[in-house]
Amino acid sequence: MSIYLTEEQELIGKNAQGFAKENLDPIVVELDHTGNYPADVVKKMAEQDFMGLFLPAEFGGAEAGYVSFVEVIENLSRSCPAAASIVVNHSLAVYAIQRWGTAAQKKEYLPSLASGKTLGAFAIFENGPTPGVGPDALMAVKKAEGWVLNGTKTYVRNAGKADVYVVLACSDPAAGAKALTAFIVSSKAAGLTVGEPKETMGLKGCPVADLNFENVMLAETAVLGAVTEGPELVAETLAVAAIAEAAQTVGIGQAAVEHAAAYSKSRVQFGRPIATLQAIQTLLAETATDCHMARLGIRYAAELLDNGEPFQVEAAMVKQFLARLHSKMLLDTVQVEGGFGYSEFMPLPRLFRDIAGTTLLDAPADFPDKTIAAALLA
Amino acid sequence: MPKLLACYKWTLNEQDIKINPADLSLDSSRAKGKISDFDRNAIEEASLIVEKQGGTVDALSYGTPAVKQSLKDALSRGPNKVYWVGDASAENADAFVTANVLAAAIRKIGSYDFIFCGEGSTDMFYQQTGPRLAQLLGLPCISYVEKLEIEGDVLKATRKLGDCLEQVNVKAPAVVSVLSEINKPRIPTLKQVLGAAKKPNEEIKVSDLGLTPAQLSPKAVRKGARGFVMNRKNVIYKESDASANVAKLAASLAAEGLR
Amino acid sequence: MSILTAEQKQIQQTTREFVAKHIIPFAAQYDKSGEFHPYLLDAARESKIFAMAVPKEYGGLNYSALTQAVVLEEWGYGCGGMGTTLAASVLSMDSVLVAGNDEQKKRYFAPMVRGEIGSFGLTEPGAGSDAGSAKTTAVKTGDEYVINGTKCWITNGGYSEVFVIYALTDPTKGVKGLSAFIVEKGRPGFTIGTVDHKLGIRSSNTVELLFKDVHIPASNLLGKEGEGMKTAMKTLDLARPAIAALALGIAQRALDECVKHLQKRFPDPKVQPGQTLQFKLADMRIEIEAAREMLHYTMSLRDASVPFSVESAIAKTFCGDLAMKVTSEAVQLMGSYGYTSGISKLMRDAKIMQIYEGTNQIQRLVISRAVLASAPAAAQKAGK
Repeated sequence: MSIYLTEEQELIGKNAQGFAKENLDPIVVELDHTGNYPADVVKKMAEQDFMGLFLPAEFGGAEAGYVSFVEVIENLSRSCPAAASIVVNHSLAVYAIQRWGTAAQKKEYLPSLASGKTLGAFAIFENGPTPGVGPDALMAVKKAEGWVLNGTKTYVRNAGKADVYVVLACSDPAAGAKALTAFIVSSKAAGLTVGEPKETMGLKGCPVADLNFENVMLAETAVLGAVTEGPELVAETLAVAAIAEAAQTVGIGQAAVEHAAAYSKSRVQFGRPIATLQAIQTLLAETATDCHMARLGIRYAAELLDNGEPFQVEAAMVKQFLARLHSKMLLDTVQVEGGFGYSEFMPLPRLFRDIAGTTLLDAPADFPDKTIAAALLA
Repeated sequence: MPKLLACYKWTLNEQDIKINPADLSLDSSRAKGKISDFDRNAIEEASLIVEKQGGTVDALSYGTPAVKQSLKDALSRGPNKVYWVGDASAENADAFVTANVLAAAIRKIGSYDFIFCGEGSTDMFYQQTGPRLAQLLGLPCISYVEKLEIEGDVLKATRKLGDCLEQVNVKAPAVVSVLSEINKPRIPTLKQVLGAAKKPNEEIKVSDLGLTPAQLSPKAVRKGARGFVMNRKNVIYKESDASANVAKLAASLAAEGLR
Repeated sequence: MSILTAEQKQIQQTTREFVAKHIIPFAAQYDKSGEFHPYLLDAARESKIFAMAVPKEYGGLNYSALTQAVVLEEWGYGCGGMGTTLAASVLSMDSVLVAGNDEQKKRYFAPMVRGEIGSFGLTEPGAGSDAGSAKTTAVKTGDEYVINGTKCWITNGGYSEVFVIYALTDPTKGVKGLSAFIVEKGRPGFTIGTVDHKLGIRSSNTVELLFKDVHIPASNLLGKEGEGMKTAMKTLDLARPAIAALALGIAQRALDECVKHLQKRFPDPKVQPGQTLQFKLADMRIEIEAAREMLHYTMSLRDASVPFSVESAIAKTFCGDLAMKVTSEAVQLMGSYGYTSGISKLMRDAKIMQIYEGTNQIQRLVISRAVLASAPAAAQKAGK
């Protein structure tokens, strides 16, 4: 891999940072207070080509690749992680359709997803611990007319605002998790309702809700990939999610350490700026280092994806690395700011609340360990 | 349909430059390059005009060989083609040298209806390059432009002067230097950034410009650069009587030369 | 955990019932609104729990240190914010216990016995960890002191009847010129400033205190002039374990909620969480257990009148850090549910335990000084 970004990737990252400063910084506090979906900002992000970032030009995408994707996500997250969440979750649906869709499906869905005219979402979780297994699984029964879906998908991000859902359902209870099938579901499908919006600790502004399916009838053409391809689709899409969420995490960590560093220079106690105290320097240095190392891991995994090489193990590693560290980054930077880091008049409490959610909502907690171990032990 | 040229300078991002507190020396080793702010406005204005009424806009830059890093950035902002002169002479060039090089390059490239510059660069802010360029090319120079329109071959400009706004009309060809108030440069989209690679760039060598060594020698020589750090005096007036504190403050301000 | 006496077990049980009835059902509501509600004082009045550290002769419950820790752990379990209300009130009266004379104790403790609360006023905008750089002044005039200045992040300020305020009687002496005073609510010139909106412990009232020419009688001086810092340090020694106890309660709550959640999610005994999750639960239990032992040991030192300053710092640091670890782990472990439910409150509440009443960095300074001071003596002894 090349450690350095290409000229284009650097420009893209720089521009994303400029975009975030101009359009996200002014709204981020209010967004956190109201949690109201920022439709205006999503439109602006679409105008920057963020919503179809890695799609081929034939579908209106920018073909910018996945390294650019993580550059954009990190830079958006430095200002407003919630807005980045909207893009990440939309992109998971886009990825799945691009990767497993038929020519007809791609033609039908991708152009409007790329332009931002429609918003995507990816629905995997259920009330039971393993998607597709047990009484809580979303069931898809094959009938003459098509597929009938019954059940509930939980904690779906972008739910309620999304137009297109990629949904995983169990198509054969006897086979359980192995029989997951992916479907493309329109938000307008009869029998599909969105539950009450969930109140989240942070990342407010990115909607989270359950999707309820009551005898939702889908045509055969709604099946995404082969009927038995669901588990593979889930694993790969969640690996992409891992990389993107890692970029979010690093963006938040970077914003936090920069704020804490600036604070420590101006906060004078014991006759000197606390920045001169070794203990403070350690907290800052560890956070900055964690961000830096993670960033390289993220870039590597993204580049593998760009080159069409296997990337799931590397994606799992980056998720694993940050799962252990992401809280620490904000615990330490809040600690640097002391009482001020605990006051909601300052930005760190919001970042604290945001970062707790970046490695959570899209994959089971032990997926990275299993993936990495499987690779080692094969 | 106007034929426009936007000149720009590739400078260091001043936010990346660190000041060494010990001797106030500057550390630019980690500074990244950027298109000088006002020049960004110049490129944007030219691009906006061409988007609205047709025409073409090229870009031109004179800098050290590092100017190569600027090409895609410039092209992503609207110009169809970028000309560049990357030469070591740019390291110590002042406005005199810069204008000589740009004028010679423009004579080589061809004629334009209007040439846009930023009012001054973010690093040196001489504010001379535009007028010097116009003089060398034998063209009128309209500076301090905060708003402009092009109708046919006439450019209508509003100049922001110290105490008033002046309306000026000038017929092509002319040189125009713009203020940052003229527009807010849009952020290039991903497609625009990636599209830049498909646009042409052309290097012009200084040796092909027919300039004399004297024309490439700066008249303003930089002796050194030091950072400026404002240290607060941290004086607190602690009299128990507020009016006594005010009197002391007023006295100390007067002693500093404030009246 | 220490082996509790029958009486302590009874107190623990009563407290647990009180918390279940009056704190747990309302914690989420006041966390959301971010306000302290005095219903808590009314509910607690009969129990006199706010006088749990007040000696018997002043009408208090005179609970031992260990019993106080047990009570505070239960309150922390219910809500870190409401627990802070109790802990901070006790913190303020600890100063009077340390430096007050009999008459002052009578005056200060009486409201506590009636179920009112107090505040400890040391911190200022420019004096956080550097408490000695406080700027509030107390100028002696005749048989009064006149106080001017600002205190910030003062818990209970908006609702306290009595306050212990630290101010400079001699600004030229710096920290050696600091003195402690009782200031009663309602003194002219003493007002409450802005209310702080916090990341956590939101049901606790945190405010600015503003002093403009506040006159108090000289008899409100606690101890002697210039002894303020000494008093503050002794007070914090007593009070730090209280924070440790709150932190412990929060950690225990996080673990219990995890277990409840997992039992719901894995109702079939044949399908249980994998080893990764199991071991995380084991680690949480190990840490909580160790923390509780540490805290109870520290309390038994205090109850035996053995010096316990360093142990106090260790307990506060250890319990605060572990509460943070356990609650972060719990949110992570419970995934989306953890992020969208009251569990996230535990993580937010835990964070302050590492910051207030002396940041865990300050605690480490105290501890390391003790470590470095003791080593040579031990080595010398060994050399013999």
